[in-house]
Amino acid sequence: MIEELKDAAHRALTDAGVGASEDKTWPLLVELGWLLVALPEDLGGIEQGLPGACAIYGELGRSVAAAPYLPAMLAMEAVTQSGIEDRDSWIERLSGGEYVAAPLARCSVRVKGGALSGAASAVQAADTAEHLLVFSDEIVAMAPLKTKGVEIVPRITWDETRRLFDVRLDGAALDGGVVLAEGDAARALSRRLTVHRDFALAAESVGAANAMFEMTVEYLKTRKQYGRPLAMFQALKHRCADLKMQISAAEALLQDSLDKLDTEDALTMGRMAKQLAAATYFTVAEEAVQLHGGIAVTKEHACHLYLKRALLNQHLGEGVDRYELDIAASVLGA
Amino acid sequence: MQTNGSADSEALSALRGEVRAWLKENMPTGWREAMTGVEQEAFVALQRDWFGKLVGAGYATPHWPAGWPGGGRSLAEQKVIYEEVARADAPRLIMYFVALYHAACTLIECGSQEQKDKYLPGILKGEVWCQGFSEPNAGSDLASLRTRAELKGDRYVINGQKIWSTMAQYADRCLLLARSGPSDPPQGGLVYLLADMRAKGVTVRPIHQITGDDEFCEVFFDDVEVPVEDRIGEDGAGWAVAQTTLASERGLTLVELSLRMRYALPRFRDVMQAQGRLDDPILRRDLGALTAKVHAACAVADRYLLKRIAGDEQVGDASIVKLCYSRTLRDFVSLGQRMAGLEGQYDVAFMRGATQETGHWALDFMNSYNWTIAGGSDEVQRNILSERMLGMPREPKAWRL
Repeated sequence: MIEELKDAAHRALTDAGVGASEDKTWPLLVELGWLLVALPEDLGGIEQGLPGACAIYGELGRSVAAAPYLPAMLAMEAVTQSGIEDRDSWIERLSGGEYVAAPLARCSVRVKGGALSGAASAVQAADTAEHLLVFSDEIVAMAPLKTKGVEIVPRITWDETRRLFDVRLDGAALDGGVVLAEGDAARALSRRLTVHRDFALAAESVGAANAMFEMTVEYLKTRKQYGRPLAMFQALKHRCADLKMQISAAEALLQDSLDKLDTEDALTMGRMAKQLAAATYFTVAEEAVQLHGGIAVTKEHACHLYLKRALLNQHLGEGVDRYELDIAASVLGA
Repeated sequence: MQTNGSADSEALSALRGEVRAWLKENMPTGWREAMTGVEQEAFVALQRDWFGKLVGAGYATPHWPAGWPGGGRSLAEQKVIYEEVARADAPRLIMYFVALYHAACTLIECGSQEQKDKYLPGILKGEVWCQGFSEPNAGSDLASLRTRAELKGDRYVINGQKIWSTMAQYADRCLLLARSGPSDPPQGGLVYLLADMRAKGVTVRPIHQITGDDEFCEVFFDDVEVPVEDRIGEDGAGWAVAQTTLASERGLTLVELSLRMRYALPRFRDVMQAQGRLDDPILRRDLGALTAKVHAACAVADRYLLKRIAGDEQVGDASIVKLCYSRTLRDFVSLGQRMAGLEGQYDVAFMRGATQETGHWALDFMNSYNWTIAGGSDEVQRNILSERMLGMPREPKAWRL
């Protein structure tokens, strides 16, 4: 099932082209039902869980697609896991393709007197969405964006395939929104969403790294200098071999962790998967530009799209260094 | 609790419990301490004893065909045994590895019935075998080997020198690859023989390694006679037989070794604590990055074996596993020796039969080259990966030394 999903996504996104815009990719993924991938069957989904979603993230990464799929999937999961009364109508709205925003980096939101205060960083789709999914140890909620006390600041980034915003909430009312969890339930749900986010970023990074690497090897086979294809030079071959091994390792860790989601510490596994995948993608991108040579620093070639996404992905989630420190804490016991 | 990979079936889970209970009961306790700072003989005694126990329980020969003691286990079952051995931190059967895997699998796959009957029972009784493949001038480029095997009547006469033969000073027999015919192509003209290490003209010289170990040997052959009936396969088909030998352990070792590395992660806590640097964010960050890599190396080895079990291994997959393990291991020991600081340099303890996770970090660092050089060096793996998996063209072969 997941393999079929992956193949279908691959075909659809290959047709859409590398770095395809939101206008193209969002309607496509809504129509193809990708928002329903992780949703349980009794709620109208196809119940492939996080591994199913990761197959899609991988393909979106492969084609550096622009669609704000991750915020939508986080919101779907948050709503599905919550006990709210009008859950089904929310699921219907979201799966119908209503844009939803969610932070891809830090989110610190508190609730006071029925209003929200705090900040959400690297929020995708904040301008087109009606609601922002906020999640912290204190509260998980769908907060209305078009209301008083909400400030949306566009943050133009080098990765033009992602439109990011900082959102500041200052006593923002929840009318028209919904609280999904509070207290202990919020902590648990927030943790679950963090795991989802980390695996999503890992899968996307692995997909993108694979695509960029394949592109590079193809280029080396085609480009001739000194009367031979560049791919014949051992100095370049060995660099490619190392990259291939590193990508395989990140991919194996991702798949292995997805297989073991229910049995072990999911938070740590998500952190490891994200850290290694983002770091590997960064290394691949760094090397791929160098191996392509001059063409890679021009906009004529797709390399720069992958490079910019790689630079950004390192810093999403908890950011570089923080992941390493958290993983170390799991080994050191504190 | 599962150790690695996808969930066990009921039968595998039962086997896992059985192996775990047996190891708890029978494993030599405190072997690491007992093997520190001792002479080779103590290590050999431990190996013999541990081998006997494992053979008795059937855990040394799960890969042998049904009908042999302990044999007939599926690859999935073999994997469970290796995982449990790693988990228990049991000693590795270094002295018997060539006998149990290289010799046995070669005999089983390529040997005649007479040869199987003649040699396999001896292996179970504890005969030690060594490998005579590499030569001083034929390392990575094995096919360029020059040891001569000259057919005279009903026997081959061997002249030449082999090197890197593990525990050859204790070996009863040798898997010998020698040249009996023309070397064009270099893989042609080779013959695969089972040589008696007690025969006249065999000289073994242990190699003094930088760690103080003498695990490897040079073996000299001076007019050593090997009867024709101890040839495996046809004369000239030695290369193909040798490939069977080298493929015999099928990824199990790296499942075990990468797991050993994962189980040894707490050693970093020990060394950081000893150095009073448990809170040092520099070390903690590096440990975090390494931990993800170690888990990834386990996942790579594990998934490779699952692929083999499913029968869809592809060219180059094995090279990824080997290169991933060796590079991760080097990161592992590099970080350990860095954490150990100056104190680590004063720690000159030598542990026999240890893997690379003794916690004596300078020793572990030096030992780790075993995996980046032996069994197909990292550079050879990179060639295989790039040329055979990625399809990058070979360099022209016109240039000659």
